Amino acid sequence: MAFWRRSFPVDLAEEGRFSRREFARFLALVSAGFTAGLGWLWWRKKPLDGPAPATGSGPVPLGLAADLKPGQSRLFTFRGPQDRCILLRTPLGELRAYRQACTHLGCAVRFRNDELVCPCHEGVFEIEHGFPIQGPPTRPLSRVALEVRADGTLWAVGDLPAPAGPSPRASLACPLQARREEVA
Amino acid sequence: MNRPSNARRALFSDAALVLALLILGIQVYLFETVLQAVLEGQRGLLPGAFIASLALTLVALAVAFKAPHLDDGPRH
Repeated sequence: MAFWRRSFPVDLAEEGRFSRREFARFLALVSAGFTAGLGWLWWRKKPLDGPAPATGSGPVPLGLAADLKPGQSRLFTFRGPQDRCILLRTPLGELRAYRQACTHLGCAVRFRNDELVCPCHEGVFEIEHGFPIQGPPTRPLSRVALEVRADGTLWAVGDLPAPAGPSPRASLACPLQARREEVA
Repeated sequence: MNRPSNARRALFSDAALVLALLILGIQVYLFETVLQAVLEGQRGLLPGAFIASLALTLVALAVAFKAPHLDDGPRH
């Protein structure tokens, strides 16, 4: 007799028996698993829906503005340790700051080849206004207002409203529709 | 003694089983649909979907643990 058979002396005739109630309990367990999955999605996404908690509402120093060359980026935290942002200087020399959380599922976007790229699902945002131009994201990145003071220091001072107007993706997909939205 | 007939008991048992299977089918469809919507950025339907899923799970649990005559096989 095999070792496992001695250790687990289950009658062969009973091995294949699986009562309806056991089956129904298994179905209920799987159903509870789906519910837990939806609950987890809800719980995980909730902090991303609203604005970031204002733990520190004052301006945040970001160093000297001149230190950042065109095409370079730097990470910083703004309202709290979880509010991660990215500061960048565009190839035209303008400073921009966005929250790093991708508007799709919250992964951290990175500055690469003059675009903000989300590595999770290949979402791409343009750097002028934060509009999505490729991949699953449909909303622009949350933008942080910047201020260069007289002594040359750069400060993150607040939140900018969501950009208005047609997104570059809309104009690429349907130029006529984008022109109509622009006129309206 | 007034006991339900075998035919009636079997019919109820089948109905409970079908109900449990139906609930699981709805759960799969609901989860797939909601996940697709979430991936597209529509997260507003998550609370409603969670509540509906929770209600379905409660019904499935009630059927699995409380439904009478669900066990098949001879009675001793």
